Amino acid sequence: MTVALQLSPADLLARVNRDVERSYLRARNGIRYVRGSNRPKLGTTPKDVVWKRDKAQLWRYRSDGVRFAQPLLIVTSLVSRSYILDLLPGSSAVEFLRDRGFDVFMLDWGIPDELDADNSLETYVDEHLPRAVAAVRRETGCEELTMAGYCLGGVLAVLYANGHEDTGVRNLVLMATPVDFDEMGPMVAALRDGRLDPDDLVDETGNVPADVLYSGFFMLAPTTIVAQRATLLEHLWNDEFVRGFQAMAQWTRDQVPFPGAAFRQVVELFVRRNALMEASLRVGGREIDFTRTRATVLNAMAENDTVVPRAAAAPIGALVGRPDRRDELLLRGGHVTFGTGRSAFRHSLPSLASWIAAHSDERGS
Amino acid sequence: MSTWLKLVLRLERAIGGPVEAAVHSDAYFDVVAELNRGTRRLTDAVESVSKRGLHLLNLPAGTDVRRMREQLARMDRRLLRIAKELEQLEHARDAEPV
Repeated sequence: MTVALQLSPADLLARVNRDVERSYLRARNGIRYVRGSNRPKLGTTPKDVVWKRDKAQLWRYRSDGVRFAQPLLIVTSLVSRSYILDLLPGSSAVEFLRDRGFDVFMLDWGIPDELDADNSLETYVDEHLPRAVAAVRRETGCEELTMAGYCLGGVLAVLYANGHEDTGVRNLVLMATPVDFDEMGPMVAALRDGRLDPDDLVDETGNVPADVLYSGFFMLAPTTIVAQRATLLEHLWNDEFVRGFQAMAQWTRDQVPFPGAAFRQVVELFVRRNALMEASLRVGGREIDFTRTRATVLNAMAENDTVVPRAAAAPIGALVGRPDRRDELLLRGGHVTFGTGRSAFRHSLPSLASWIAAHSDERGS
Repeated sequence: MSTWLKLVLRLERAIGGPVEAAVHSDAYFDVVAELNRGTRRLTDAVESVSKRGLHLLNLPAGTDVRRMREQLARMDRRLLRIAKELEQLEHARDAEPV
């Protein structure tokens, strides 16, 4: 009341106008939200499919302003949709990196079905990744590349970069990559010895259903949905906010099935034996030594990551690559700071882009 | 930030904190595992009875359909594997010097 009395009549009128306008926008956006219409299109940065095998596809993002000789290949996670890295125009990691002069490729694993139930780590590390890298080399004519693995994609990138001859990986960027599964907390607690058996979660398609994975993520913070909805209600008048909220909500709910064979390996090797901490892993009948790669390795972690806690990601910096070729980056934000959110575009992505640029050659130099 | 939102957020944290502590505890995961085993045992028992009943009427049970789907999926995967092996052989043959 005191505030209202201090306002001039013109200010008061402006405030009333603003509130009326916001009420109208709230009602309009609320109806659209409930009806499910006006959902933003996700992953729309223009791209071409340059290679595919099974469900995996390699996308190359169109760009007229490539400044760096080495292309950037992003290897996405197996458990979530890749469009988190290309969420919305103006809020897309891929778009950001492309505009910084990188020739961006993204390896998307697709949505597994019963045909993919036998996909194991070997399928991704020995079958898909070498072919995808060959396609990147063929497309760009460049022998070297920067490989950036996100979440479980980071583990695949580590295994590929150390498990093959002539990998072409000059820089290996590991974004929120779990390595110490003893520190993964509630994400994997149900799968520890004596609790759930991996086969308890596999359905008749041979995969772990997407809903099971969603439940796992949901149970990390089951009540935050209330805070999120309340914040949405407060900002319902703001088209931009609603658009971002819908995009994130869709991605959060849009999990994909986990191929059964790979899931069993992850549980047995990573969760129960914590085998990644030994800096080597037996994959495809050979021992992969994590220090074999000649690539410069960047371990990029997020301060407030609840999916891959900092403690689970930090040790990888001392396990992969040669000691004199290791860097570390601690970023603000949570697990999605590599793809979206205010801190992503203010801090995380500029830091990542600067590091990659500093370790790449300018074209024609 | 409006007062009501501040209140909701504070309330959410007041409830959310203990809820998270509970669902992240070892006891919770032990209970989930036990419940899962119990549910499975119960489902198996019910399915076994209903299967017998349906088979008496010469009708397929849900487990039969599930098993058939699994077999079909296995066959699909085997075909895919054979196709890939064939592709590899062709690749190797093309790479051989003439």
